[in-house]
Amino acid sequence: MLKPILLVEDNPNDLELALIALTRSQLANQVVVVRDGAEALDYLHRRGEYAQRPPGYPAVVLLDLKLPKVDGLEVLKQMRMTEALKALPVVMLTSSKEEQDVVRSYELGVNAYVVKPVEFTEFLRAIADLGVFWAVVNEPPPGSQRYSKPLNS
Amino acid sequence: MSTIGPTIDLSNCDKEPIRTPGSIQPHGFLLTLTEGLEVLQASANLSSWTGCTAEYALGRPLAELIGEEATQNVAFRLSSQLGNRPFYVDTVTTGNGLHFDVLGHRWDEVIVMEFEPVDRSYPTDFRELYPLIGDFLLKVNDTTCLESLAQLACQHVRSVTGYGRVLVYKFDADGHGHVTAEAKDDTYASYMGQHFPASDIPAQARELYALSRIRLIQDARYSPTPLLPPVNPKTGKPNDLSFAVLRSVSPVHLQYMRNMNTMASMSVSLMVKGKLWGLISCHNESAAPVAFEKRTACEQLGQILALCIESREDGQELQFRLEVRRIMLSMLAGLTQSSDFIENLSSVFPDLLRFARASGAAIVVDDRILTYGDTPESDDIQELVNWLSLHDHGDMFHSDHLSSVYPPGSKMMRNASGLLAMPISRIHKHYLLWFRPEYVHTIEWAGYPHDKLVQSAAVQSPLPVQLSPRTSFAAWRETIHGVSHPWHSGEIELALEFRTALLGIVLERAEQMASLAGELTRSNKELEAFSYSVSHDLRAPLRHIVGFADLLLESAGSEDILQRERFLKNIKEAARMGGKLVDDLLSFSQMGRASMHPSMINMNEMVAACHEKLAPECRGRHIEWDIASLPEVWADPTFLQLAIFNLMSNAVKFTSQQAIAAIRINIEDRADETVFHVADNGAGFNMEYVHKLFGVFQRLHRMEEFQGTGIGLANVRRIIERHKGRVWAVSSPGQGATFSFALPKYNSLT
Repeated sequence: MLKPILLVEDNPNDLELALIALTRSQLANQVVVVRDGAEALDYLHRRGEYAQRPPGYPAVVLLDLKLPKVDGLEVLKQMRMTEALKALPVVMLTSSKEEQDVVRSYELGVNAYVVKPVEFTEFLRAIADLGVFWAVVNEPPPGSQRYSKPLNS
Repeated sequence: MSTIGPTIDLSNCDKEPIRTPGSIQPHGFLLTLTEGLEVLQASANLSSWTGCTAEYALGRPLAELIGEEATQNVAFRLSSQLGNRPFYVDTVTTGNGLHFDVLGHRWDEVIVMEFEPVDRSYPTDFRELYPLIGDFLLKVNDTTCLESLAQLACQHVRSVTGYGRVLVYKFDADGHGHVTAEAKDDTYASYMGQHFPASDIPAQARELYALSRIRLIQDARYSPTPLLPPVNPKTGKPNDLSFAVLRSVSPVHLQYMRNMNTMASMSVSLMVKGKLWGLISCHNESAAPVAFEKRTACEQLGQILALCIESREDGQELQFRLEVRRIMLSMLAGLTQSSDFIENLSSVFPDLLRFARASGAAIVVDDRILTYGDTPESDDIQELVNWLSLHDHGDMFHSDHLSSVYPPGSKMMRNASGLLAMPISRIHKHYLLWFRPEYVHTIEWAGYPHDKLVQSAAVQSPLPVQLSPRTSFAAWRETIHGVSHPWHSGEIELALEFRTALLGIVLERAEQMASLAGELTRSNKELEAFSYSVSHDLRAPLRHIVGFADLLLESAGSEDILQRERFLKNIKEAARMGGKLVDDLLSFSQMGRASMHPSMINMNEMVAACHEKLAPECRGRHIEWDIASLPEVWADPTFLQLAIFNLMSNAVKFTSQQAIAAIRINIEDRADETVFHVADNGAGFNMEYVHKLFGVFQRLHRMEEFQGTGIGLANVRRIIERHKGRVWAVSSPGQGATFSFALPKYNSLT
């Protein structure tokens, strides 16, 4: 089974647009949606309401930078401090072109930084490209499972 | 600072043994006695007064010279009164029928007894002198001006002594004398206004004048009569005759007197605050005695005059200082007008001049020079400041003869002979300078003051110069250049005080600047957050509108009405959100800029108004409001209302999922602040994220749970902080939250 894509997005509109984009990219990967940083970490660490989820990690985490409670940078930081999550591909998805955000994201070891385009067709293309690259083209780090059991969404 | 060029004091004069001359003036005789009243020493002229030789008298009891009865009388007085200042013991008649006033004092381990001939056999009578003193005392009260008081003293002393000329003589800081009052016979030359060089009265003589308040030389042509034996048998050294009224004076001084055509002189020391202020100096062209009681009267007059001088000078000094202080205070008040310190200082330039009675002033801040009035050229000032900063002069530099310490000063003598310079920074080369112009004046000396010096220079010898009293007393004018009016000690002290105050102001300014810088840093940060939010949060709704509009266009032909409706709803929602963001951003930025107009606010009315405004949002909800009675607070009403509305609106929002919402508003009245609480039983938040709570565009909840832009609480914080208060919140998830702010009770809101 293909590993899922973890989408961390709090804004319902952004979420809907991103899901539409991913659907149109015709990726076979399942998309798991969490709504804030705390939930994303719970999911990754299999704790809280995700304590019962099957083991395994997503192919890629599409992480909104600005999130309620724990923001994207904090999630990224905590992932990079955790052995099992260190090499997991993370794409920062954000509205912000602020240099400090870009710099900080790369310092914390983000794999890609994508500014959400205002133009919808570009947004579609960006999300589709991301999904294809990270879920299909990219060779994951050695030792990581390429396939996992399906997740119940 | 010296007002005349070369030093004219001759140190040789200072080596004259004036206290131990070994001889006395011969118009009386002197004995030194043991405690048992046996003669230890006698002046060599004893025989001419008593018929008994000094050699014979030595070792004999006093009774042999003045008789048994007088001796008993003397012994009685000695035992009861004798101190180390001469006092009147008795009037005695010796075997040859001559009458003597006897003065005695203990000094240098012996009893010194001095006999002055008088033409009466009975004790002296002071009664006739009382009216003179009394008259002077009466007039003292009516005379406010020191000069006329001194004049009055001269007249009285003259009428007591009968001397031809009496003058009051004031010493300046360098020891030069200046005649300030005079009473004289018409035939005598006037010395009024003239200056006597310090060398006329050497330092050690002045010292002795301070100890012994009166001395008399009744005949300058006298031949001193030695003491026999010449050394004090008790000490083995020549007798210390400091207090002896018959003490022989320096031959140099006698020559000086004769040169001056003064055969008799008497001087009374004027002691002001323990220092020799001046002298009452009496001259007579012919030899003239002054009896003990008359001398005593003159001494008392001198004391009264000195007391008057002291109180008048104190009064004048006080008056002067009060005036200078008044100017200083008005200046300091002016110095707080603008935020620019230099601008402030230059705005009080006229007062600065008046303060130091200067004709020019300059402020030097690094290479910037601001001048006012008559000052040297900027380049010269800069050079002067460089010199000042190199020569560490401490807190203050002052000179009334700048060119004497700073040679380049000679080219700015005209407007800067006097300089008072005050560093106004401990770190930088910042100075406040006052300039006084050259005060070209002539001093009228009673004779050429450099007389002795010229002679000594002529000798061209490294050996001690032969003492030579000056011979000329003809008035001699000296023109003084390069010197300004002297700086008054009060001006210097108050300038120091002014400096302290200035540094205080500078320090305060620095603190204000630091706090402004802090404020600036804060508003810069907010500006960053602001622009960040514009780029981030404002772009999101635009993207949504564009995105869903595209989707809507794509699906134009499709039959999925529900989907198209949702897209439209999303577009509308995004547009509304965008609008709200813009509004909130604007209000937030205004919050930082708008000026505040605080007043007393009735919080009850304010909360009621907010409650009313919230009515539409409360519709269909069950909310239990519990609003305590609230006090008045001092704040800006518009701002405070916004803060309270935000908190109440938050409480309404976050209790929206409760069946029964409970919102409680109350006050804590603390000593120095009023604390306002809004508590709800709503969703609450995790305290882990409390640090983000009041940040701009921070949200702790998902959009669809609770709508909002994340600006409300940022606004609350900004408003309260501008009131110098503080905000905080306490909560736990699901347990509701309490938002609080505290407003200080006493502050000056800006």
